[in-house]
Amino acid sequence: MRQHDESDAAAEVDDVLKSAAEELRRPLRIDAALFDARVMDEVHRGAGGFRERMARLTRPRTFRVSPLTALAATLVFAVAIGAGVLALRPSRARVPLSDVARAGAGSPLVQFGFVAPNASSVALVGDFNDWDPKATPLRAASTGGVWSVEVPIQPGRHLYAFVVDGTVWRPDPAAPQATGEDYGEPNSALTVVAEQGSR
Amino acid sequence: MLDARVSPCVELSDGALVDIVLKGDSEAYAKLVARYRDRYARFALHMLGNREDAEEALQDAFVRGYRSLHRCGDPARFGSWLLAILANRCRTAGGRNSRRERRFVSAEDRHYAIALDHPADASALREEIGRALSRLDVDQREAFLMKHVEEMEYEQMAVVTGAGVSALKMRVKRACERMRRMLTEGEDAPAR
Repeated sequence: MRQHDESDAAAEVDDVLKSAAEELRRPLRIDAALFDARVMDEVHRGAGGFRERMARLTRPRTFRVSPLTALAATLVFAVAIGAGVLALRPSRARVPLSDVARAGAGSPLVQFGFVAPNASSVALVGDFNDWDPKATPLRAASTGGVWSVEVPIQPGRHLYAFVVDGTVWRPDPAAPQATGEDYGEPNSALTVVAEQGSR
Repeated sequence: MLDARVSPCVELSDGALVDIVLKGDSEAYAKLVARYRDRYARFALHMLGNREDAEEALQDAFVRGYRSLHRCGDPARFGSWLLAILANRCRTAGGRNSRRERRFVSAEDRHYAIALDHPADASALREEIGRALSRLDVDQREAFLMKHVEEMEYEQMAVVTGAGVSALKMRVKRACERMRRMLTEGEDAPAR
């Protein structure tokens, strides 16, 4: 009898979960016309062109950061400069690359490099160019299969990758990888710090 | 203007629609939005607990999906790929709002026992299920929703979340245990 009761209790618990799942599966209706219009408006605005997006990115902004974050960013910047940011880049790139270059009052210029001796093209894609493989091609050095490009990038944390031969996406082997962010593929992470006094 | 191939009378596959969008017809993306809007709005709502945040996360996911469409490795599985983006947006938004949510939960702190014998009280039932769901940690909530609400296979969940099948099974099991306790005994201790 006791065993029977326990079995009934187990079934009841399963019914509870089953009912909960059924309740959660009930369709949710949202204002389809309004929602779709908002999405497609953003889609069309985003398709407005790289220049327009860069203009938005380079527009002066005010950032609100907590004192702790500001202190941490300052420390990271100081350590990076002190140690020589070049050390963060791979010896295999064999080009003088730096995460943070100085570009006067504008956005810091950041130099990206990638070694691909057999590639016919390499492009830089990232959240700063809407992941557009046509926006930022790298130039090949005359020897060594080293590709590089210099790009003004707004201060902040950015994700990026390289596209080799128009189809193969590769993270930067020299930079920390940011896995699991949005697309399930590894990207590289880059933090650009504004030079003191540049704003 | 819609491409002739995107006639309302023709139900194109995800892969075909992605192909059309990538060839320059951005209007074809509206078909994909319509296809996944309601189902993924539900997922976002259950992940985030309120409609406004859910719609914002979903809109953000669709826009990011469009801008990164050329990175969709398997256009035929656009839905899974988009869900991965949405799950990530929900995690980001959930983290941002967690403090507010916790305040809400503690202010409304009450114990309910589910009354399956009285299904007429559907509103209280929904409220209690939502409350239980909100008390799961985000990994468990995501896994529970994908498995038992979206009815996904573990292999598909692994592709979407990037977690291993074994880890996902564990998350679902723990989520079920906690949901059972909360819904039958009113247990509401925070996730351990």
